[in-house]
Amino acid sequence: MRFTQSFALALLLLAGVAQAASWGFDDGTVSVVAKRAGETGSKERFNSKTPLTKPVSLGSTDTLKISLTAKDNGQEKRPHQAFVILKEKETGLEAPFPLTVKENGKAVASITHKDLPVQFLITDEPLEASIVLGSFGSSKALNAPVFDVKLQKDPNVPLPPYEKPVRYGKKEEIHHIFRADPKSPPKVISIIFALAVLATVPALFISWVLLGANLNHLSKAIGAAPVSHATFFGSILAMEGVFFLYYTSWNLFQALPVIGAVAVVTVLSGTKALGEVQSRRLAGER
Amino acid sequence: MLRSSPLLSLFAFLLCWGAALVSAVSTTGNRLLAILDDVGEKENYSKFLGDLESRGFQITYETPKSESLALFHLGERAYDHVIFFPTKTKGLGPNLTPQILVNFLNAKGNILQTLSSSTTTPNSLVSLLAELDITLPTERTGLVVDHFSYDTLSAPETHDVLALPPPVPVRNDISPLFSAGAPKDALLAFPHGVGAVLGPREQLTPILRAPNTAYSYNPKEQSEVLDASDLFAAGQQLSLVTAFQAINSARLVLLGSAEMLQDKWFLAEVATPNGGKPVKTFNREFAKRVSAWAFQELGVLRVNWIEHHLNEVTAVNESNPHIYRVKNDTYTISLSEYAYDKWSAFSLPANDVLQLEFSMLSPFHRLPLSLDKSQSTPEASVYTVSFKLPDQHGIFNFKVDYKRPFFTNIEEKTTVSVRHMAHDEWPRSFVISGAWPWIAGLGATVTGWVVFVALWMYSAPPTDKKNKVGSKKTN
Repeated sequence: MRFTQSFALALLLLAGVAQAASWGFDDGTVSVVAKRAGETGSKERFNSKTPLTKPVSLGSTDTLKISLTAKDNGQEKRPHQAFVILKEKETGLEAPFPLTVKENGKAVASITHKDLPVQFLITDEPLEASIVLGSFGSSKALNAPVFDVKLQKDPNVPLPPYEKPVRYGKKEEIHHIFRADPKSPPKVISIIFALAVLATVPALFISWVLLGANLNHLSKAIGAAPVSHATFFGSILAMEGVFFLYYTSWNLFQALPVIGAVAVVTVLSGTKALGEVQSRRLAGER
Repeated sequence: MLRSSPLLSLFAFLLCWGAALVSAVSTTGNRLLAILDDVGEKENYSKFLGDLESRGFQITYETPKSESLALFHLGERAYDHVIFFPTKTKGLGPNLTPQILVNFLNAKGNILQTLSSSTTTPNSLVSLLAELDITLPTERTGLVVDHFSYDTLSAPETHDVLALPPPVPVRNDISPLFSAGAPKDALLAFPHGVGAVLGPREQLTPILRAPNTAYSYNPKEQSEVLDASDLFAAGQQLSLVTAFQAINSARLVLLGSAEMLQDKWFLAEVATPNGGKPVKTFNREFAKRVSAWAFQELGVLRVNWIEHHLNEVTAVNESNPHIYRVKNDTYTISLSEYAYDKWSAFSLPANDVLQLEFSMLSPFHRLPLSLDKSQSTPEASVYTVSFKLPDQHGIFNFKVDYKRPFFTNIEEKTTVSVRHMAHDEWPRSFVISGAWPWIAGLGATVTGWVVFVALWMYSAPPTDKKNKVGSKKTN
């Protein structure tokens, strides 16, 4: 029990010593001064123990004034380092603003939108302001967050242009967007129309038959010129066969010579066969 | 012509083997030039220089005033690497002008430059750094102090010996080359150093940044009062150790504190004001890594081979064809990384990816390559990706453009043609349902034509009178 008491006492003493040999400040005030006369800005007091809960709002034409009295071990003194550091919480980007310090420790700094880096202006997050006081020697330096600054942007004033600096790193993935495949109408419609087209064939035949078409002269023609009629009609069928093969498997250079050969046969046999047809007409048989 | 005797070939083999042994140190060579004010100063750096020598470097010591000093001999580099220790002279003389130093970098020479707050940096080096977008404090000198993380043992009053943890990478996708494997409470001593400000260039990467609360001031003029308008830079904007890697992978390291490399600080113990125990500095290992990085012993990548082929089960499936069609396709690349004395399989830093671009003017695809364990060996890792070529014909490039901080640049381009579909490679018309009416029309025409021919030739006049007259007229 006694031990813990003395330990606590020692701790207290230690804390007292530590507190004694450290930097601090008094009379910390932050005020926003509007450019136009008549508008009264806000003024708040802050200390190093508890940061202000409400963010200080800073308009695009306003000036943020920070003043404090730096103290070393309770004594007013000028530290070598007296900074207000504004920090953007998301990216961790920091900008230091040195305070102008007098011999008696009175320090002031004024910040406007123009002094801020572009990155601060384009973000919507509040900036965290901390006071850093430190100097050579054994006194413990102070780094205390004191308040947040919310930048009020004037919508009429365009933001300064900012381009993110190029950094080596992975880039965004790109996946090629393929053109859509050609589309066919529904199969049902294709089938209906194909059937409609095919239906014209029997329709044609029936109409021919109704008009009296027949093959009554077939035996006569074969009898008169059997070879030429057979070859002529066969060559016409063969030509269709060649076209069919060209459609299914042959290429043009395979098809052309065969077409030529079949055409010669058609012409040679055709003169005889069609001559026979003519002779029938001249005889008044058709 | 020249008949080689067995003895001669043995001699040649031994010569080659010896050469290979010596050049096993760095991937680009082992001739190191050290520039000192006074050659005797090297005693201060004996451990650092000894470490370099034990890694196989042949060190030549010169002063800037030396007549014989020349970085180039007959247009070729006379040295592979240069290390500048702080010199008191204002300039470095006609043999080390900024132009020559830039040429040295262009010729793939590497530079390790050290600064010190006690000496002003020579003009020549300031100009070289300005060329690389690195700005030093005005007056060419400055001192970085931090009232929060100084070494309480050696600088309790002046706070100009920073005690910093080994640097973590600036971004989470950068390889932690300089801090990997360091003990948790390791501290770097950064005594009497100069901080630099880096411009927005992708070739520049800070290796070690100053802590948030550090700042730079001129000890001659600002020892009492630091005027608000005269602050050079503060916080993390100050880069204490900076890496620059040119597009040709030549490297320059700016080390803000030459004293870091001295024997004294290799052996010293440091402690922070937060009341931590004094620990031995991490400087020796850090100096080893920084110099190894600068002299191309660390972070050097090599492409072993590249292969691409059509990813189809066909009879003909050759490697690296010159022409492709819109089809599936596979690209494979093999990479190795060099560390001190050997090539090993390259593994990507966490959160980083190796990307393949398939591009004609602009990339059509940019895809991540993934590690193929079945093809990888301890010496080489193989990354592969399979993808469908875009439906656009033309001349395309397979491009792997892997440029990352702390790694040598890889830019591999393989050109292939992508042809369009040939006329007989499209689906046949009977497969396309929309074409069925047209095919039916063809069939109808053919049948109609054949039957018409038969009827025309063999049809007798109809017996019906009325029709007979009509048919006669038509014929």
